Amino acid sequence: MNYMPGTASLIEDIDKKHLVLLRDGRTLIGFLRSIDQFANLVLHQTVERIHVGKKYGDIPRGIFVVRGENVVLLGEIDLEKESDTPLQQVSIEEILEEQRVEQQTRLEAEKLKVQALKDRGLSLPRADTLDEY
Amino acid sequence: MKTTHLCSQVGVTNTETELQLSVLLDQFSITAAKKVYLLEADTALSPEETAMEGVGQPAKMKCLEGPHLNQGPAKSCGSLAPEKELVSASHLEEEEENEEGEEDLDPDPDLAPGPEEEEEEEDEKDLGDPAVLSAVHNTQRGGLSSPGIKIPDVLGMSPTSLHFLWQTLDYLSPVLFRPKFPSANSPACHFGHQLLLPDPSLFCSLPTSWPPKFSLPSHLTQLHPQHQRLLQLQQHSRMQSPPAKKPWSQQPDPYANLMTRKEKDWVIKVQMVQLQSENPRLDDYYYQKYYQKLEKKQADDELLGRKNKVESLKLVTPYIQKAEAYESVVRIEGSLGQVAVSTCFSPRRAIDAVPHGTQEQEAGAASSQRLRVLHHIEKMFLQLLEIEEGQKDGPPQPCYSEQQSKQVEKLFLALKTQEQNNLEEAADGFLQVLSVRKGKALVARMLPFLPQNQAVSLLLAITHHLPLLVRRDVADQALQMLFKPLGRCISHLTFHELLQGLQGLTLLAPGSSERPVTVVLQNQFGISLLYALLSHGEQLVSLDSSLEKSNSDYTTWTDMVVLIAWEIAQMPTASLAEPLTFPSNLLPLFCHHVDKQLVQQLEARMELAWIY
Repeated sequence: MNYMPGTASLIEDIDKKHLVLLRDGRTLIGFLRSIDQFANLVLHQTVERIHVGKKYGDIPRGIFVVRGENVVLLGEIDLEKESDTPLQQVSIEEILEEQRVEQQTRLEAEKLKVQALKDRGLSLPRADTLDEY
Repeated sequence: MKTTHLCSQVGVTNTETELQLSVLLDQFSITAAKKVYLLEADTALSPEETAMEGVGQPAKMKCLEGPHLNQGPAKSCGSLAPEKELVSASHLEEEEENEEGEEDLDPDPDLAPGPEEEEEEEDEKDLGDPAVLSAVHNTQRGGLSSPGIKIPDVLGMSPTSLHFLWQTLDYLSPVLFRPKFPSANSPACHFGHQLLLPDPSLFCSLPTSWPPKFSLPSHLTQLHPQHQRLLQLQQHSRMQSPPAKKPWSQQPDPYANLMTRKEKDWVIKVQMVQLQSENPRLDDYYYQKYYQKLEKKQADDELLGRKNKVESLKLVTPYIQKAEAYESVVRIEGSLGQVAVSTCFSPRRAIDAVPHGTQEQEAGAASSQRLRVLHHIEKMFLQLLEIEEGQKDGPPQPCYSEQQSKQVEKLFLALKTQEQNNLEEAADGFLQVLSVRKGKALVARMLPFLPQNQAVSLLLAITHHLPLLVRRDVADQALQMLFKPLGRCISHLTFHELLQGLQGLTLLAPGSSERPVTVVLQNQFGISLLYALLSHGEQLVSLDSSLEKSNSDYTTWTDMVVLIAWEIAQMPTASLAEPLTFPSNLLPLFCHHVDKQLVQQLEARMELAWIY
């Protein structure tokens, strides 16, 4: 805000830990190191966090360069409060397994829905270009 | 002296490294406590543990920025720790480095936290040091696999091997931390202190760049009230925290300021350029108005006695000359057709499309008539907005610049004549405009800009057709907005003009049995206007006694007054509308012209109506 009062700018967020939500549904947590006018982000010591229910798992990814248009939102993480979470951290393998299971159940439910609609003579439009997560 | 002490402890005999280390320690501000700690670490602990501690220290030392491994001091800084690790490793026999490293280092995490917790007074950050130790552990495991480490000559260590060390730490530490620290603190711990772990690299940030841990937004950001309260609470609690608490509650970030000030300024510049405009009052209307309100509020607060003047910042966009106008269509000699030039304003401009406006057929006279009126109002409104814009700040007034006068004139003509040659139709057009709510708003906003004669003509037109307007206004009830500007106009009326206005009210419209005055009296706007006119007339008469001499006008005036008084008396009190303002000189006026009985009746009615 010192730099540009009355505007929203990422300049003040540099070198702080952020949580970034991408359009494909991924959640990245990293230190915001650099930006540009398109809000392309450079994230350092990034961790991809996968949430399934009350559990989450972190996959360390290193350095990310994110194209600005793919960011849904991002917010600063309070380092003091970061550990104050009711969620339970699990290992990567476990969370990936949980995610797969969740995905599977969702697909099955979707299939049942489509089948039910088909039986009634209706059809859902194909969601090829939609961002689904 | 301190540095030599430390150096000797870890077996640094190389004077060059020693010198560089001392330079580093002196160059960057290390708090006295930390320096003391370094000393104490040397004395209180065994050489092994010192080595462990020592590994922790450089991380807390402030050195130059990270990735520039080629720089001398950084290199030596970076190379220092591996040396220490090597020193600890060198305690062990070289062939069995791995195993012995594990043996010797495993108990250390248990030992080391003890004295550390004694030494340091920070609570949470103790996690850092055991973390560091286990990092050393990892380094031993991981780093030793690197052939570079085995070289005892530290200075000969290549940057690449350092890099490798650093990277392995990055990847190993998050995985390896968990078994040691299953508490909930571990994620924060390993993440926050991961920054310390590349102790072999030891790239720390300059303290000047230290950003506040949690940026409190300025007053210019709108927060949810709960959010704001929460932030205030946090701010208070932080301020009340004991001063003994270290200024940096977490270890300095070795990777800070990767984005240099120059680069930040560049991004800001680009963003500012995008915001520039020739007419910010128009382009950025809401922000400008908001800022004005804010400044006004602050000025008021200051007047009320609030001591501190908080200077609120305003976004000032740089004025940069626009590049010369681009040619949307480029003709290249000798080519056929046009070439589409792509710019930021028109990325793909295909051809010069010529709009073919199709005239819609007049479908239904009434609806099209209404549409035409609405369209006309819109056009006039645009003209009015331009005039208002040209007026700048301050109340609207008849303008002094020529251009503005021209604009106003143009607008007035548009309103009055409506490009109709027939006077009657023009008047009709004016009334139609006034029948629309937006038309009333237009006239109300326009009146202050008009010269007196034009304003008077409008006023007279309104009073002449007041009953009609009142009837048409039943739905909107929007005539009130005309009252204030008209009131101002009335106060400048001449007696003759006033009479003309009043006469309009008394004339019986053909084919209607009802007196126009009755309708007027029942409407709030009408009665207010009437009272205003009467009041002004009375004022004129009382001020200028010569008016009483001129016969015709004066008799008309008295007749009018009597008529109106009679009408008011006739009206049931309930149907008498409440005027917007009640001029004080009305009752005396009636006293002059009518008998006492009537005056009493009037008094009762008007005051009752007023109370209602």
